Amino acid sequence: MNWRGRLLIAIPYAWLLVLFLVPFVIVLKISLSDIALAIPPYTPNLKDGFWPMLSVLDLENYAFIGAGAVVAGFAGLVLCIAMYRVIFPRIRRAMLPETADTIFDSAAAALTALAVAIVNVAIVVAVLAFLFPALNAFVEIPDFLYFAAYLSSLKIAVISTFLTLLIGYPIAYAMARAAQHWRPTLLMLVILPFWTSFLIRVYAWIGILSTEGYLNQLLLSIGVISEPLAILNTPIAVYVGVVYTYLPFMVLPIYATLDKMDDSLVEAAEDLGCTALSAFWLVTAPLSKPGVIAGCFLVFIPTLGEFVIPSLLGGSDTVMIGKVLWEEFFNNRDWPVASAVAVILLMILIIPIVLFQRNEQKQRELEG
Amino acid sequence: MAHANPDAVFAPWDDPVEKPLIQFKNVTKRFGDFTAIDDLTLDIYAKEFFALLGPSGCGKTTLMRMLGGFETPTEGTILLDGVDIGPVPPNERPVNMMFQSYALFPHLSVWDNIAFGLKRSDMPKDQIGDRVEQMLKLTQLGKFAGRKPHQISGGQRQRVALARSLAKAPKLLLLDEPLGALDKKLRHETQFELMDIQESTGTTFVIVTHDQEEAMTVATRVAVMTEGKLAQVATPEVIYEAPNSAYVADFIGDVNLIEGTVEVPAKRASETSVAIKWSATAPAINASADTPPPAASSVTFAIRPEKVAISSTKPKAANVLEGKILDIAYLGNISTYHVEVAPGLIIKAQATNAKRVSRRNLTWEDHVYLSWTDTAGVVLTA
Ligand SMILES: Nc1ncnc2c1ncn2[C@@H]1O[C@H](COP(=O)(O)OP(=O)(O)O)[C@@H](O)[C@H]1O
Ligand SMILES: [Mg+2]
Repeated sequence: MNWRGRLLIAIPYAWLLVLFLVPFVIVLKISLSDIALAIPPYTPNLKDGFWPMLSVLDLENYAFIGAGAVVAGFAGLVLCIAMYRVIFPRIRRAMLPETADTIFDSAAAALTALAVAIVNVAIVVAVLAFLFPALNAFVEIPDFLYFAAYLSSLKIAVISTFLTLLIGYPIAYAMARAAQHWRPTLLMLVILPFWTSFLIRVYAWIGILSTEGYLNQLLLSIGVISEPLAILNTPIAVYVGVVYTYLPFMVLPIYATLDKMDDSLVEAAEDLGCTALSAFWLVTAPLSKPGVIAGCFLVFIPTLGEFVIPSLLGGSDTVMIGKVLWEEFFNNRDWPVASAVAVILLMILIIPIVLFQRNEQKQRELEG
Repeated sequence: MAHANPDAVFAPWDDPVEKPLIQFKNVTKRFGDFTAIDDLTLDIYAKEFFALLGPSGCGKTTLMRMLGGFETPTEGTILLDGVDIGPVPPNERPVNMMFQSYALFPHLSVWDNIAFGLKRSDMPKDQIGDRVEQMLKLTQLGKFAGRKPHQISGGQRQRVALARSLAKAPKLLLLDEPLGALDKKLRHETQFELMDIQESTGTTFVIVTHDQEEAMTVATRVAVMTEGKLAQVATPEVIYEAPNSAYVADFIGDVNLIEGTVEVPAKRASETSVAIKWSATAPAINASADTPPPAASSVTFAIRPEKVAISSTKPKAANVLEGKILDIAYLGNISTYHVEVAPGLIIKAQATNAKRVSRRNLTWEDHVYLSWTDTAGVVLTA
């Protein structure tokens, strides 16, 4: 390869290095430091010299936030997925070929494989805990706040991804079925919210959902309810906010796959004896799967680290890792612990990001 | 087709007792204010291999889609076996369609594509496998059963589409430009395969094509369409030898069209002879027609190039024209001579190259004579 080719490749790598790796290394370094009443609020730092700074790093912040448990959970999850990937194709193959073709058969096989994988991993964990009692200290969680925040973020991200899919798919489907000349307009309407500030749009939901908000006023005036509903500052408000904000990320990839789909496929299915509904399940649904997967990741990944929506719409009982991170940084000024939280969050996000990349690549190979 | 043994001739359209399988009755289809099919009436009989021929956009696909149930006629009715199929949805029609785009399911293997329709039918599970294997054998796809559509070639995909539409043994199979994507050799082979399949299964085929040669090869009858109307419906021989209009004559094969008027007073050698005046100086063309058009009416005389003889000495024939060779197209087995017989009027004459160096004496700029008999061409009034 000549030097021009190398230069061309070097540019994106340099970009990646400067904008991702360097900040990450700094955050990683801070997470390995100790809190101090100084500026910057951690020690050791560069003022102590380069080598002394690196020599006194330790993992106590990670131990404090219960990172061991997260890592163990993470390892368990990876093990589960690996096992699932081994088991699922075998279950599919074991099914009679003439039955294993509907989406329900696939789902049944998937659930079975998942159950088997989880049971196997649970057995491995139990055996490990019995054989090596020292491992218990590793997974000990001194302050449950962080672990709970990870779990609750995960739960909120999973549920809101599912809700977004539930609402986004019919929208994308209707768009793809709309008359050709309407589609650009409909696409525009989906993208339109991006023209205003995300913050303002979330604030607008406060006006809608609060006790004196438009929603309660409307419901009171038409007599559906007699007492105003307390929606704001509850998890429901967070779900509403997340689904509203990330809906376009779900709709657009699904629309893209549906739009690309040849209409004659559904006609062929009907020609061969499918009703409109079974043609959807047997043809449209499987073919839009890549779009669904892409959309789910595009919603799931940012929601997991979401900070603005839970802090504006959620109550004090909605703990999300993004919010914890913020409070640790700015209220407690505990940069080392905050950094450790951030590093673990990144680690958790690597799984869906890698899976997302693989989905995209598989799709490209199929088309290429 | 030999007409020696009348019992063997397949011609249900000439038989008044035979009931058609499909009847289009004054069918009109409009998209907005565009009329795609215009008041069309057509009968198609069981076991026919019926070809729809016409230029792109003349409504062939629309006609097929109405049979398949994907479009409903704006006016008129379509009967299948005497029953109006207007209200029958596509999945309940005993009709299968092979789509112009093949429309293979990309997420299913070849095997599953072929089995798709069978699984939706009430065929017992254990018979589905046998039927699919049978179809795979028929279309010679056995080796590719496990592959996905994107892993096989265009020709193989087309065969999968064919196998899939045949699998349910429909009463009527619709083929929309099924061979469009194939190269010439494969297309010829597949045409014969289609004819074999049609004969062995006894299914009624309706094939759409814009390739006239293909229509002539495979079809029992050909319908030539233009702008949503039928120009002519007849057997390939009739369409070729006795087109009913200049449009059909021009659309099917190569033809020389000479415009003129029927000579006044009509000199009649016999009941059927017509003399056509086409130039002020040259002698009139002697032709024959079953019902000669009235004198002074304007007509078009159509004659196929292979019916025009070319020679360098003046022959004795009903029609002889003099001219100059402008161009020679050597096609291997035949040569086509473009001869200018009057300023601006070029007539094509075809001669087979039976001997290796035959007719080498004819070359560009040569003065030649063209001749044909009085029954070689047809007189067209439309
Ligand atoms: N869904 C439709 N909406 C509007 N016009 C259509 C539609 N389908 C076909 N047409 C028009 O009808 C005419 C005939 O189309 P088609 O039957 O596809 O022609 P072809 O003979 O090439 O198969 C074309 O001019 C086409 O533009
Ligand atoms: Mg067409």
